[in-house]
Amino acid sequence: MTRSRNQALLLILPAVAILAFLTLYPLGRGIALSFFSTEYGFEGAKFVGLRNYQDLFSDRFFTRAARNTVQFTLLATLSELALGLALALMVNRPFPGRSVVIPLLVAPFVLSTMVVTAIWSAWMHYDLGYLNNLLRAMGLDPVPWLFQPDLALYSLVLIDLWQTTPIVFLILLAGLRGIDPEIYEAARMDGASPPFMLLTITLPLLLPHLLLAGLLRSIDSFKIFDKVFALTGGGPGQATETLSMYLYRLGFRFFEIGMASAVAMIMVAIAGGLAAVYALSILRGGRA
Amino acid sequence: MSRLRIAMIWAVTVILFWPILWMVMTSFKPPGEYVSTSISILPHAPSLEHFRQIAADGILGKVMNSLIVTAGAAILSLLAGFPAAYALVRMRLPARLDKAFLVFVLLVKLAPPLVLAIPLYQVLRGVHLLDTLGGLILVYQVYTLPFAIWMLLGFVRDVAPSYEEAAVMDGAGLGYRLVTIVLPIMAPGIAATFILLTILAWNEFAYALLFIQTPSHFTLPTYIATLITEDETFWGRLMAIGLVASLPILTILAFFQRHLVTGLAGGLK
Repeated sequence: MTRSRNQALLLILPAVAILAFLTLYPLGRGIALSFFSTEYGFEGAKFVGLRNYQDLFSDRFFTRAARNTVQFTLLATLSELALGLALALMVNRPFPGRSVVIPLLVAPFVLSTMVVTAIWSAWMHYDLGYLNNLLRAMGLDPVPWLFQPDLALYSLVLIDLWQTTPIVFLILLAGLRGIDPEIYEAARMDGASPPFMLLTITLPLLLPHLLLAGLLRSIDSFKIFDKVFALTGGGPGQATETLSMYLYRLGFRFFEIGMASAVAMIMVAIAGGLAAVYALSILRGGRA
Repeated sequence: MSRLRIAMIWAVTVILFWPILWMVMTSFKPPGEYVSTSISILPHAPSLEHFRQIAADGILGKVMNSLIVTAGAAILSLLAGFPAAYALVRMRLPARLDKAFLVFVLLVKLAPPLVLAIPLYQVLRGVHLLDTLGGLILVYQVYTLPFAIWMLLGFVRDVAPSYEEAAVMDGAGLGYRLVTIVLPIMAPGIAATFILLTILAWNEFAYALLFIQTPSHFTLPTYIATLITEDETFWGRLMAIGLVASLPILTILAFFQRHLVTGLAGGLK
C-alpha cells in the first residue's frame, strides 16, 4: 500500500512542481509585493503595509476601471446567454444541413482573440469600416463605434458577444439534448402552446446549464484584456479601461509594481469568489 | 420543420459567419478594392499580392515561433498531466490531497492571467528565460496544464480497470501498464486534449506580449497586435495574416468537428 502511495505521489509530482513554481510561488510573491512601495521597478522596495490598497480605493482611475469591468462583465454575460439560448433553441431539432450549420456557428470561438480584434478593428473603422458601409447603404448615419466614450464599451461587448456566444450555445445545446422528449409530448397532449412549454418546461430544466454558462462567461469576461489592449488601449479617455488593462499600465508601463500587485490581489479575490461558486457547483454535480 | 424556419436558420448562420467570410475575401482583394465604401465582399480582381507581401515581411518566422511554442506547451502539459490525471483517478493519495489539488487546478484555470504577470516576469528573469520561446512554453503551463489535467481526468475514468487487473496478475509494473495498456486505450482522448491545448496555446496573447520583447521572437497574435492601429487601413495584409493564423484552427474544426464540439463544451464545464 505504501509503495502504491509513493508511486501515486511520484506520478503527480511533475504537475505539482510545475504548478507550484508557476502559480503558487508567484501568487505568494504577488501578495508580498502588494505591501511594498516600489520606485520604478523591483529595486528599493519599502514596506508600506496596507497603504497601496488604501490608495487604490481613493484612486478614481481604479474605481473607474472596476466600474467598467463590472459593467462589461454583466452586459457581455447577459447578452451572450440570451443569444446563445436563442441559437441553441434554433438548431436543437434536426433539419437538413445541421451538421454544417453548427461548426459555422462555433467558428468565431476557435479564432484567436487577436484575429477577432483585427477583423472588428476594420469593421468598426469610422470612415471605411464595413459596419458603417452597411449603415450608409441602408441610408443610416455612420456610428463612431470606438471614438465615442459612451459607446466604446458597448462596441467591445458586441465583439465579445460575437466571439464567445458559441461556447454558451454549445453548453445549452448539450443541456437541451438531455431533456426527455416525452415531457413535451405529454404537455402537447394537454394542449400546451410552444411559448408556454418554453417557460414552464425548457427554461426550468435548462437552469443548471444556464447558471453554469453564465458563471463561466462572467469569470472569463472579468479577465478581458486582449481586445481592450489592441483596440482602444483603454480609451477614449478612460471609457474602456478594465482592471486587467489598468494592472498592465501600472505594472508594465509605469513600473508601479507594489500598486499593480495590489490591483492583482483585489482581482484574485473577486475572481476567486466567482471561481469558488463555480468549483463547488462542478464538484457537487460531478463532471458533466 | 417548415421551409421558412430553415431559411431563417441559414440567414442567422450566414450573418454570424459573415465577418469570417469577409476576412477570407478581403485577404484576396487588391488595395484599391478593400478601402472602398462598397458592401460587396467578393473580390472583383482576386490577387495573391497580400500573401506575397506578408511572406516577404517574414510571416514564416512568426508561424514557426507559434508552432514551436504551441507544440512545446501542449506536449509538456500532456507529459505532466497524463500521469497526474491517472494518479488522481486510480490511486490513493494521502489525506485528501486529490480533492485539494483538483480545486487548485480549477482555480488556476479560472484566474485572470494578468494577476500573475508581474511575479512571473521576475520568475522568468530569475531563470534567464525572459524573451525566449522556452520561457513562453513554461509560462503557458499556467493555462494548459490545468486544462490538460481537467480533460484527461474524464478520459482516464472511461478506461475500465479490468484491463489493467489482468496485467497486474501477470506481474506487470505500473510504468509498463501505463504505456502499453492505458495509453493506447486513451489515445482518442489524448488526441482530443492535444487539439484543444493546441488551440489554447496558438491563440494566447497576454503572456506573449509581456514576456517577449524581441520582434523576431513574436508569435502570430503579438505580431497581429502590432499591426492593429487606428489610422492604418492595410486590411488586405492584416486579413491575409489573420487567415494564415486561423487556417490551422479552422481546418481542425472542420475535420474533428464532432469531437471538438463536445470537447469544447465538456472541457470547459
